[in-house]
Order: sequence, then structure tokens, then C-alpha cells
Amino acid sequence: MSQIAPSLKNRTPLSERLDLIVSPIFAIALAIIGGVVWLYSDLDDTTISILAPEKLQRQLVETITLGLASSLLVIAIAVPLGILVTRKGFPRLKNFLVDTLGLAQALPAYGLIVIFFSFMGAGITTVILALATFSLLPVLRNTIVGLEQVDKSVIDAGRGMGYTTRQILMKIELPLSVEVIIAGIRTAIVINVGMSALAFLVGGGGLGETINSGLKLDRAPAILIGAVLVAILALLFDFMSALAQKYLKPKGL
Amino acid sequence: MDFLFSLIDFALARQVQVLEGLAQHTGYVVTVLVSAGLFAILTGVVTRRSQLAKELALSIASVFLTIPSLALFVVFIPLVGLGFAPSFIALFLYSLLPILRNTITGLDGIDPGVLESAKGMGFSPVQVLLKVELPLAWPIILAGIRVSSMLVVGIAAIATLVAGGGLGDFIKSGLARLPLPNSLESIWLGTLLCLVLALVIDLILQALRVATISKGIR
Amino acid sequence: MSETLIRLENVSKTYGSGAEPAVRNLTLEVQKGEVLVLVGPSGCGKSTTLRLINRLIEPTSGRIYLDGEDVTDGDPSELRRKIGYVIQQVGLFPHRTIAENIATVPKLLGWDKAKIEARIDEMLELVSMDPETYRDRYPKELSGGQAQRIGVARALAADPDVLLMDEPFGAIDPITRDRLQNEFLRLQQELKKTIVFVTHDIDEAIKMGNRIAILREGSEIAQLDTPEAILAHPADEFVESFLGSGAILKGLTLKKVRDIELHQVPTLSSPVMREQALETLRASDDQVALFLDANDKPTRWIDERALNRTSQPIEKSGRPVTVDLQPEDTLQDALTVMLQSSVGMAVVTDRKGKYLGCCTIESLAKLIMSDG
Repeated sequence: MSQIAPSLKNRTPLSERLDLIVSPIFAIALAIIGGVVWLYSDLDDTTISILAPEKLQRQLVETITLGLASSLLVIAIAVPLGILVTRKGFPRLKNFLVDTLGLAQALPAYGLIVIFFSFMGAGITTVILALATFSLLPVLRNTIVGLEQVDKSVIDAGRGMGYTTRQILMKIELPLSVEVIIAGIRTAIVINVGMSALAFLVGGGGLGETINSGLKLDRAPAILIGAVLVAILALLFDFMSALAQKYLKPKGL
Repeated sequence: MDFLFSLIDFALARQVQVLEGLAQHTGYVVTVLVSAGLFAILTGVVTRRSQLAKELALSIASVFLTIPSLALFVVFIPLVGLGFAPSFIALFLYSLLPILRNTITGLDGIDPGVLESAKGMGFSPVQVLLKVELPLAWPIILAGIRVSSMLVVGIAAIATLVAGGGLGDFIKSGLARLPLPNSLESIWLGTLLCLVLALVIDLILQALRVATISKGIR
Repeated sequence: MSETLIRLENVSKTYGSGAEPAVRNLTLEVQKGEVLVLVGPSGCGKSTTLRLINRLIEPTSGRIYLDGEDVTDGDPSELRRKIGYVIQQVGLFPHRTIAENIATVPKLLGWDKAKIEARIDEMLELVSMDPETYRDRYPKELSGGQAQRIGVARALAADPDVLLMDEPFGAIDPITRDRLQNEFLRLQQELKKTIVFVTHDIDEAIKMGNRIAILREGSEIAQLDTPEAILAHPADEFVESFLGSGAILKGLTLKKVRDIELHQVPTLSSPVMREQALETLRASDDQVALFLDANDKPTRWIDERALNRTSQPIEKSGRPVTVDLQPEDTLQDALTVMLQSSVGMAVVTDRKGKYLGCCTIESLAKLIMSDG
């Protein structure tokens, strides 16, 4: 649910390494907690039926599908939009976006999903669109910020050597801001995987169902195992995004 | 337009619940920001001399933000029960990263010459911290508190799922009654009030900024 | 000038075990009221040595004495409040006004409010900054030179006997630096503080120091003496190479215009007739005369050609006198002015601008020769 981007600047080699170490450690710790609960608490029939493997498997697949589909949608919309508003001619729109995006973080994802549901009815599309709307913000913001922070003198140098506007974008601006943009995408993926746990509210399935059943039937082990699974999934996606971030950025940076 | 009027009617007819929801929501924001703010600033101060400690604290705080909100809200229920407590813990953990990161950034960004001269003039280490380091880092710390406050307002809407109250109550009850009359109004009211609350908090933080930040570094 | 105020005794500083010491077994005495300059190549340990005195760096071994008292142990913060400290980065507190910056140490020492207020204005005046204008400003509103003036004022606010200065003028543009150096020397004549001054610039060392310690690696003293003695008799090759070529020219910064015999050129003043002026000029060995205004202030160089050009009144002909020297300026300044002047001479005036005479290349050469 991180609605803010991971640190944009000051990414030291150390923090990059810790990035790849700390979340797996947490994931393993959570897995151990889940395992212990599973093995050592008294699981009555109700709990066992909530935690039936085929159910969990279906929910897992649903969660991942929702998370990935909405993330792809966000990337397809937010990155081009961010590029567009940082071109000349949109300074007002850009400033407006940067100012409002901060406040928009206060928008409750819960409310957004329910509002989409009230218009579109139950289903997977509803959830995907709601999630995409919600996680648009970090990608858009990071795209804008990333493009803005490119050293102006480098752009000038490119122009001086005869690059066209398009070449400047493709060969200078995007490579130099890719790390920041990916950081935003990473945030969006984590948000989407995390928020897809709320999909059960509007009939979209996902691991939230397990948590919800646990809450409704007052079965603490089910709640805990559902939560642990969702958390591990998010950490896993965060970890993979961190890897992508590490290997996709230009070598010289 | 009709919907807007019926939304207002809906709100006016339930002033007590609206105020209660706002109060609970604001309660989360205030308690979480104060406690998480103190904790994060303290962590930033304690770890500021060690690169490893700093980065480690940041990594751990960012893992909290990675854990999905529903999971973090419910995971403490077996330990502390339903209601305010699990919601508070989750929101507390969520709001650490922005404040911690900005505290560290703020403290790191202080001109070494200023620290050198403060020590050179005979400030004790505690005086350097309280009179130089924290005041100079404060604008950035406050910006982190602002980010956290927006975050808390948005996520606190989920508290209703663990019986924690707040403006999410309107969303939940609206969803439960769909498509009965007034259910849409209820959903929109809960969502929009979050934005209004965020706006008010933002203004208060702006005022706090003007009041607490020296003109020399504004 | 013979009372020792600061004494470092066999002081060493080693970072980490097995590393080469940054300061190796240094013994150094600073006399009361003198400016002792520590100068040396970068990495020689001069800044470390300075910071050992106020214990911003704690010595690995050895003792430090201030005014006869062993200050190696005890509360370092209390020690630092008794010692003024000026650094290259200035380090003014950006969140505090100029007045609050200056009041820092007096406040730490618990002075009463009225005394601090009075002291703030006194300090601002001391560094030639108008209290009314600057008291309530913030550091970001100051230029680099102004900031360092405040840095000096802040260091002097609690009237410490000792002032430590770490390349205080190092980050300032050459013209402002020169002015600040001169002002600082004037201030020091008045205040007679005991100053340890670190620089990597030998010219600055020669200009500022009563004594200079030339340091080599490990803060080992290569030579410690007056600037004159070091210039005349460098102790070894290291010192010689550090002084660089042109030691004679460097010596010019030690001598003042008042040390030189001034040359008198013909002078003209209003009202003056053209023929009379021509006659005066021809009677003299000089090619040029000085026109003085009603206050005896030299305004223009006038030569024969200018006099023959009758289209202009005499007081507007010739070339203007753009720079004048005063007796307390250094001969280095005089040489610069002469080289830039169209007539190869530099005009010397008193503080009020009244004409005293001229500096010539010949008189300068004569002085250097006589020094041998």
C-alpha cells in the first residue's frame, strides 16, 4: 500500500543491497509465523474449510492477475502522460498535477473501489480499473519528477550536437530518468498487489476472501494466514521490482 | 447536480455520525502523527552517525509500507483484538517511512561547516542537536509529516473493516446497502470527507510550517 | 610578546591503529598577542593541529596547555567557549539572525541580555557593518565577504583571548580577500588577540603572520620564524621550494609604502596659466606633473602634450589619477599600481587624500638592493 515512491535520491549501493536483503528476510519471517500458526494452532473444521488449498490457490492466482493487469494498465497510461506534460507547452498542467498528486494520496482506495463498483457492478474489470486509477499517481508523479531532474546542461549538450527533440527524449531524458520512473512503477505494483486484497469487497475475489471469512467467522488463524500470504506476495513483487530497478538502470549512474 | 444536493441532504441529516466519523478519523491522524513522528525522528537522530544503521532503519520502515494495508490491519487482531488498537498499530507502521526518511535526509543535508562551527563555539552535543541540527532539518521533517498525514487519512478508511470506526464507516455501510436509496451518497460522503479532512490537515501543517520555521531557511 | 599562551607538548594524533600519524610528536608554543601562521601543503596536518587546540580533535597523546593550565582533559565544550573559532565555510547558523549568530557564545556563557545586545552592535561596528542594517538579517542575505565578517564578529563576541582561524579567507574572491586581510590586520593591531591562523597560501602567511610555522607531512615543523627571516634564510630545500620563486617579490608584502623614499613630481594647482605650467614641467626631470585640487588631492597626470592641447582647461586635460596609495599599504600593492599606471609611478596620499609624493620603480629597486 505504499502510496509514496521509494527514495528518489541518495540510493547508495548499500541501500540497494539492503533493499534486496531486508524484504526477503521479512517474507521468510512471515512465512515461518504462518507455518507455525498452521501447524500448531487448533484448526477446527471451519478454519480448515476457509484455508482449503484449492481455494487459496485460486485466490492467489486472482490476486496476482489483478495486481499485474492493473500495473500494466497504469504503465501504459501514466508514463506517456508524464512524458506529455513535461514537454514544452504544459507547464501549468504539470504544476497543477504535481501539486494535486500530493493531496490525492489521501484518497481512500477503499472508497475508490466501492465507487467504481457502484458504477460498473461486480467483476474483475471493476477492480482493475479502480486499482489502476489509484496507482496512477505514483507512476505519473515519478515520471514527471524523473524527467524534471535530468540535468538541463546535458539536454543542452545533446541539442548542441544536433539531436532532434525525439532523440533527446529517447537517448537522454528517458535513460537518465528511468531509475526514478521504475521506482514509481515499483510502488504501483506493490500498491496493486496489496489493494487487490480488497477486491473481495466487490466480488473480485483474491486473498482478501480468506481474511474476510476469518474476520466474519472469528477465526484468528485464518485471518493471520490470509494476511501473511498477502504480505509475502507483496514483498515478493517488491523484491522482483527491486531487482528490475537494479538491472534496468544505466550503468554509469 | 441532483446527486450533489442529495449528498448534502444526506450529510446534513446525519450530522452526529459525520462529526463522529470525522472525530475518529482525526483521532487516528493526530495520535499516529505524534507517536510515529516522535519515534521516527528519534530513530533518525539515534542512527544519524552510522550509515548502516540509517539504511537498515529505512529498509525496515519501507518494508512496512510494502505490506498490504488489509494484511497489516488484521495481522495484529489475534494479539490486540478489534477496534482502535490494530488500526493504530498499522497506521503507525505505515507513517514511519516518510518521516524517518525525511529526518535522515534533513540531518544529512546540514552544512558540515555549520556543525563544525557550532562545536567549535562550545555547543555541547545535545545543544548541537537541539539548537542546530533539528531546527535546520525541521522543514524537511515537516514535509515528511505532511506526506504521512495524507497517507494516514487515506488508509484509515480501512479501519472500519476491523471495527475501528472512522470515515470508512460510511463507505462500508453504503456498500452493504447498495443499491438501496442513500447508499451511493454514503459511499461518496465517506470518500470525499477524507479529501476534505486531508485538505484541512494540509492547511494546518502549512500554518505550522510558517509558525515554526525560521525566516532564514524558509 | 614573550609570554606563552598556548603550548602543545609532544602532541600526536593517529587515526586508526597502524596508520601514519596526522600529527607526529608536535611541540609548539604560541606567544601572547602574536599571529602564528601554520602553513604547508595540503594534507600536512595543519588543520588537524589547529583543531587539536580547541579539542575538536582529541590528541592520541601529549598535553595541551592554555595560559599555563592543562586543558587536555576536562569538558571540551567549556574550553571551546573560551576560544574563538573561524573556518573557511564560515558556518553561520542559517536559521538565526545575524544578531543571534553573534550572540551565540555570550548566550552560552550566560551573559545578561542588555550586555549581549550592546555587544552585538559593538561587534558589528568592529567589522564595519552597520548594526541598524544587518542586525535582523539572515545569513542567506549576505555576500561571502560579509558572511565571513560576521563569522569573525561571532568568534570575537565573547572576547576570547585566543582566536583559531582555519583558512578564513580561502573561499573569498581575491579582491575581497585582500580587503578583509587588511581590515583584519588593522583589527588585530587594536585587539592584540593571540591568533593561530591556518593557510595553504604562503603569500597570505607572509602577510598575516608575526611568525610562520612551515609544516611538512605529519605536522612536522620545517621552519618556525618571522616571515622576514624565513624569506631571507630558508632552513632547507623543502622550505625553499614551498616559498617558491620570487621570494624577493614576496618580501614586498612585508614592507610598507612608508618605508620607501617618496619622489616629488612637479605639482600644479588651480588657477594655473598654461605657460607657467609648461615652464615648471620643462624645469623638472619628470615627463609629467600632477594636478592637485583645492584640497591638495591629486586628480590628474598632465604631460606636455596635454598642455599643448588647448581645447580643454588644464584641470580636465591629461589622464585621471585612478588609484592612490597610503603609507600603510604594502610595497606589493605599490608595485601593482605602478605596473598598471600609465606613467610608471604610483601616487601616495595620506588618509584624507592629501598628496604626499610618488612611488617609483627606482626607489623600489633601491630598497630591495639595500636589503640584499
